[in-house]
Amino acid sequence: MLDSFFILASFTAPIEIGTNAVSMLWMFPLLAAVSLVYKATKMRVLLTRRYLLESLLLFLSVSGFMIMAIIVLNLLSWLITS
Amino acid sequence: MTANSNNRSPAEQAMWLVTVALAAWIIPGAGHYLLRERKRGIIIFVVITALFITGLYVGSIGAVDWVTGRIWFYAQILYSPAVGIIANVTKHGGYPVYGRPCDIGQIYTGIAGLLNLLCVLSAVYMAYCGRGEMIGQEEESNA
Repeated sequence: MLDSFFILASFTAPIEIGTNAVSMLWMFPLLAAVSLVYKATKMRVLLTRRYLLESLLLFLSVSGFMIMAIIVLNLLSWLITS
Repeated sequence: MTANSNNRSPAEQAMWLVTVALAAWIIPGAGHYLLRERKRGIIIFVVITALFITGLYVGSIGAVDWVTGRIWFYAQILYSPAVGIIANVTKHGGYPVYGRPCDIGQIYTGIAGLLNLLCVLSAVYMAYCGRGEMIGQEEESNA
């Protein structure tokens, strides 16, 4: 009973996340969820192995694009400010 | 509940589509589950609920706020009507929410709502085409 209250209480205050580059890692669980749900709605027949493979491919391609976008934007800001 | 859509009158078909849409909104994945797309329904429920709960954990329940974060709330309420209960609890602003955790909490819960909208549309489309029953049987035989 007491444990349940502690679990519920943990939802009443935000956790500590700094405004640094490491906080960008929070995008990966989001991308994984989007990939899994998108493929679950898109695939005609949901066979486990194929579904997981296609979700992984989508996750990797979107993550790759996001990382490239981060690099390009950082390069641009470095060129402009230097 | 899973009778073939070809055997229904237009009124019954319309009611069936509304039922599927409401079920999919009230419980994420329930629309697909009604269409015998059980695996799809369970995946949708687990992933979207995990995303929403993670968002609440990171940003606190104060991330759901229809007074100061109304645009986000429109996306969050798409997860389930139960989000309205959370908004009712947090409307007086008694829960701390700030900075990056607030951003991440709102993004996670908002995206969970928008993903559920995608699933509601997918379930209604499958019900309209009568695809659910057919593919559900195909998946069960291949599993």
